[in-house]
Amino acid sequence: MTEFQSSATSGSAVDMLGIVKDFDTFRAVDDVTLKIQPNEFFTLLGPSGCGKTTLLRLMAGFETPTTGSILLGTKDISRLPPNHRPINTVFQSYALFPHMTVAENIGFGLKMLGRSRSEIKVTVDEMLRLVRLEGRGDSLVTRLSGGQQQRVALARGLAPRPQILLLDEPLSALDLKLRQSMQIELKRLQAETGITFVFVTHDQEEALTMSDRIAVMNAGKVLQVGSSRDIYEHPADRFVAGFIGETNFLQGDLEAVDGMSGTVRLKNGVRVSAGLSEEAPRHGAITIVIRPEHIEITDVGAAGSIAATVATVVYFGTDTHIHTHLADGTPVIIRQQNRRDGSRAPQTNALIGLVLPLGASQVLRD
Amino acid sequence: MAKAFTHGTADVKKQPGFAVIAAICIAVLYLPLMIIATYSFNAASNIGAAWKGFTIDWYASALQNREFYDAAILSIGLAFAAMVISTVLATAAALGTTRGKRWRGQTAAFVTLTTPLVIPEIVTGISLLAFFAAVAALIDINFGLGKLLIAHVTFCIPFAYLPIKARLEGMDETLENAAADLYATRWQTFRYVTLPLVVPGISSGAALAFIVSFDDFTITQLIAGPGETTLPLYIYTRIRRALTPEINAMCTLLLMISFIFIILSFAISKRRSQ
Repeated sequence: MTEFQSSATSGSAVDMLGIVKDFDTFRAVDDVTLKIQPNEFFTLLGPSGCGKTTLLRLMAGFETPTTGSILLGTKDISRLPPNHRPINTVFQSYALFPHMTVAENIGFGLKMLGRSRSEIKVTVDEMLRLVRLEGRGDSLVTRLSGGQQQRVALARGLAPRPQILLLDEPLSALDLKLRQSMQIELKRLQAETGITFVFVTHDQEEALTMSDRIAVMNAGKVLQVGSSRDIYEHPADRFVAGFIGETNFLQGDLEAVDGMSGTVRLKNGVRVSAGLSEEAPRHGAITIVIRPEHIEITDVGAAGSIAATVATVVYFGTDTHIHTHLADGTPVIIRQQNRRDGSRAPQTNALIGLVLPLGASQVLRD
Repeated sequence: MAKAFTHGTADVKKQPGFAVIAAICIAVLYLPLMIIATYSFNAASNIGAAWKGFTIDWYASALQNREFYDAAILSIGLAFAAMVISTVLATAAALGTTRGKRWRGQTAAFVTLTTPLVIPEIVTGISLLAFFAAVAALIDINFGLGKLLIAHVTFCIPFAYLPIKARLEGMDETLENAAADLYATRWQTFRYVTLPLVVPGISSGAALAFIVSFDDFTITQLIAGPGETTLPLYIYTRIRRALTPEINAMCTLLLMISFIFIILSFAISKRRSQ
């Protein structure tokens, strides 16, 4: 049983190599290759049905890949049953054992690993402290609140000190306040234990705030892997750009390429400089993407600016959203932080100039 | 009125005539039993006689009756053995038909397991009789009481199977996944998670199996060999002799044994499902 003893800091990670998973005729996971680093808070983000939960179940061992392999460190675990993998799961429904106390739930994994009673007790007490449920060890889990059950599920998954902890949308059943405090709590637990967390969610905000790296998935494929900032500021394609946050798409032609940036001539003749990823096209008609908060407003007719008409102005407290459209009808949203002096927001129907600062826009992959 | 019918929320307890119908149903069900129980304390020496005063003599005489005592022991032993065997088999069958991947013939298996419920007892009895005769003709072994046990297990299985299957179907399979995820082997998953959670179903199934075996008359009557007189068979033979309130006492005792089992099973379910 020493194979489970390995501490999470030993440097092993998960490698998913060319994973395909078919359910009858439906391809849930389509040729996914991912490298998850040790001690990482890694998030699989995507809409429901994108294959992220299937990917998690493949890692846990509840499913076996149709083709491809999963390596834990250097060991191929693709065909091992769940109980032979040093990987634990926090289920969406928590799946706490209703006939056991909090302590019995948390100690279950250690008991199955054949650890001594005294060792289990020490670890369970440590876990109760870690998830701030001191003194609740003898409670029945059915008597706990949703947030407390969530903590027990986390403690149960962490107690055997797995190499990887998988979390399947664990916060989706909690209300907003509790969810926000649990997000911070999860980050703290990950940092304190040093265990690699693989977190599944469809909530982009949750993904952005918690993750070291995010893999955005759609229709069984991984579209982009990167840090929160990468994903948000340099989305690789239209899906990623649209799924995460609000965004603007502008059509143009790529005129010149200079390494990782290019000059784009927009439809109305204005030239802007946009970032180019490795997979982005090198010539022809392209789409660029720019976040609403990166667009600056200036007077109409200013050099290098794009003329736009203000349609609606929506006040949001911390910021104001200005919905505009260009001469050809393309909608563009601008987000401005509200300042104390106020009154900087333009009026409805006003004609304004939009400036796309250097490096703020990105050429999409397709 | 139309409203009460078009909306599914109409409370049947508030419909006119509900109380009367309920009272009639309860009376038909329980009045005969109450009469049997009451007249088991009648001091008269004839079963149809009017009330002559209170006595417990009939219980004393029933319990001192060697034949009654032997029949009761045989019945309880047989019902207990049939209950244990059929519950174990039914639990395995319920696991096989509710867990894991669906397999070819799963529906056929379900139908095969539950059809005995709708086969007339006399048909089951006669076919078992023919079956044992054929076996006896082929191999010269006297099964003795074994025949009765096999017969009882056969018709007890569906009664034990249905509550266990219902309980398993109502149970979240994620719990078993969670156990496997936490390093439990298949056996440990069953021992520590599935079994404790399915206990209410098993206890209902076992109680039903016990009662069904304990009360059986038709099939037992056909299969039982000489000397294999179960309690229902014994009481039936007694009816053809002089009828004294002792028979009432015997029936009441039979009823008590059934009740004790139901209450026991109910208590186990209740405690476990909390």
